[in-house]
Amino acid sequence: MVVTLVALVFLYLPLAVVVLFSFHATGALSFPFTGFSLRWYEQTFSSQEFRDALWNSTLIALSVSTLTLVMGTMAAYGLSRSRPALRAPLAALFFLPITLPGLFVGISLLVYFARLDIKLSFSTVAIAHFVYVFPYFFLIATAALDRLDPALEEAASDLGASPGTVFRKVTMPQVWPVLAAATALSFALSFDEFIITFFVIGPDSTLPMFIFSKLRRTVDPSINVVSTLLMAITLALWALAFVFVLRAARGRARRADTFLLEASA
Amino acid sequence: MSAQARLSLEGVTHRFGKVTALDSVNLAIEEGELVTLLGPSGCGKTTLLRIIAGFVLPTEGRVVVEGQDVTGVPPHKRPVNMVFQRAALFPHLDVRANIAFGLQVAGIRGTEADERIAEALRLVRLEGFEQRRAHELSGGQMQRVALARALVNRPRVLLLDEPLSALDLKIRLEMEVELRRLHRETGATFVYVTHDQREALALSDRIVVFDQGRIEQIGAPNEIYHEPASPFAARFVGDANVIAAEVVSIESGTAVVTVGEHQLTVPCGSNIAVGDAWLVLRPEVVRLSTPSGGGFSGIVLDAAFRGTGHSYRVKVDGLADPVKAEMAAEHGGPFGVGDTVSVLWASSACRVIPRGGDGRPAAPSLERLGGVG
Repeated sequence: MVVTLVALVFLYLPLAVVVLFSFHATGALSFPFTGFSLRWYEQTFSSQEFRDALWNSTLIALSVSTLTLVMGTMAAYGLSRSRPALRAPLAALFFLPITLPGLFVGISLLVYFARLDIKLSFSTVAIAHFVYVFPYFFLIATAALDRLDPALEEAASDLGASPGTVFRKVTMPQVWPVLAAATALSFALSFDEFIITFFVIGPDSTLPMFIFSKLRRTVDPSINVVSTLLMAITLALWALAFVFVLRAARGRARRADTFLLEASA
Repeated sequence: MSAQARLSLEGVTHRFGKVTALDSVNLAIEEGELVTLLGPSGCGKTTLLRIIAGFVLPTEGRVVVEGQDVTGVPPHKRPVNMVFQRAALFPHLDVRANIAFGLQVAGIRGTEADERIAEALRLVRLEGFEQRRAHELSGGQMQRVALARALVNRPRVLLLDEPLSALDLKIRLEMEVELRRLHRETGATFVYVTHDQREALALSDRIVVFDQGRIEQIGAPNEIYHEPASPFAARFVGDANVIAAEVVSIESGTAVVTVGEHQLTVPCGSNIAVGDAWLVLRPEVVRLSTPSGGGFSGIVLDAAFRGTGHSYRVKVDGLADPVKAEMAAEHGGPFGVGDTVSVLWASSACRVIPRGGDGRPAAPSLERLGGVG
């Protein structure tokens, strides 16, 4: 019990300190804490450099999560409908990049872009993030589609629905909460990605890059502000994802219950 | 055949890799019939139903609905509808939207849709349940919604895949009554898959007994029950005793057979020849009595109370398998395990069926039948 508490304190105290000092009234980054103020927030938001980084991160995360939603759903759906013998090896191929170190992905993409003479820009960051995020999305989407009762789709097609209609009217309504959760996670993963971004980014900046560049120059509490914001946005997205997953799980449990209860009544 | 069959299967064969799930099945189903496909798990009956629905493309053969070959037609373009084993209601839609699904996809809207949905709900006696979701229904109600959802499309053939097997006994019996009423009131053509012989006997106009991907026998329930064509049909339908016997002589519809050390005179068909045969004996015609009653002598292995009487398993001298007996209380007993008894039956209640002949294992092993369910 004590060990657990110590571990928790060890984990969360640094985060708490960062958040606390983002509200600090003075420029000091260490105790004693002399009072609350939003001045560092004001200062941060008034910085053009910060606003650009925030906008860039949002734009990249938005395009990456949208692209992942479309491509990931298609890949997962296609795979869940393919022959069982093909399924496992293909799923492994889609999923394997998750095990690659970010450093490796960053360097290899950089070499790749250089070879193809592609200028580093937003697009290269977006492509890199897509490579990084896709396996996570794919894994979650596959799990959701695999758990779907195939009889539901069969019933729909038996009732006259074409494959497209089946997907729209039966498959999507079942899996959208999970896909939404996975999209939120994709956004979060892209939003705070640093290592791969570091290699493939051009002249622009993202939020994590902004923090990094600030750290190398003067250290002032606005770093705490940006870190807190980054953390808050990421946390909010994970929470959103969690709500969607809970929603999906509850619906499924309810469905499974009724028939079993009845069958064993 | 003068009239065109509602549904006919012509030489339908299906192989999964090297396993033959269905072996050239030929079957014609007439308009308004309720036909059950009966057999143990893995006999191919569900595969056949899925072939009719279009979910499985047969390796060979044709599926013909009212003269139209639909073998290659995808499920959503076939004029048949299916009721699934576990209802498969759309969980995100309420009862009404579930029933409306087929009509909506077909572009039927407005008053016609409303009327047909109301009629379907009335038919399955679920008026007032329109707004319920699947998880707010009991298992029996779910299956009734599934029936309404299929019937509202007025399918040329209604396919039912063990629709009652996930329900408990009491609701199953109620649903059987409902299904018979639905069939009477709609006059629709039903193809009903089940592994429950009792259900098949209770519901069907005709039963198709399946074993190992082949049709063993087609006939009315009483015909299948009383005149089983094979040891498998005899054992599977009605749990009959199938006893090795030898036909000694045949004379004008009766045969003299040797069973163990006894000789019996039993009725027989024209397909019986002198030599090895099977004697089929329904458990309910077997009588036990205190020894000295003549007949076979045996020892009771097991006795179970059945309300109106007892069921027994008796080891009989000279016979390989124990004999099953169902005896009403008024016919004597009860006997206890270990009792020595005389085993008797009316010879006229037996049937003789030929042994082997088609190259298949002549008698199904009890182990294989044990896998039923």
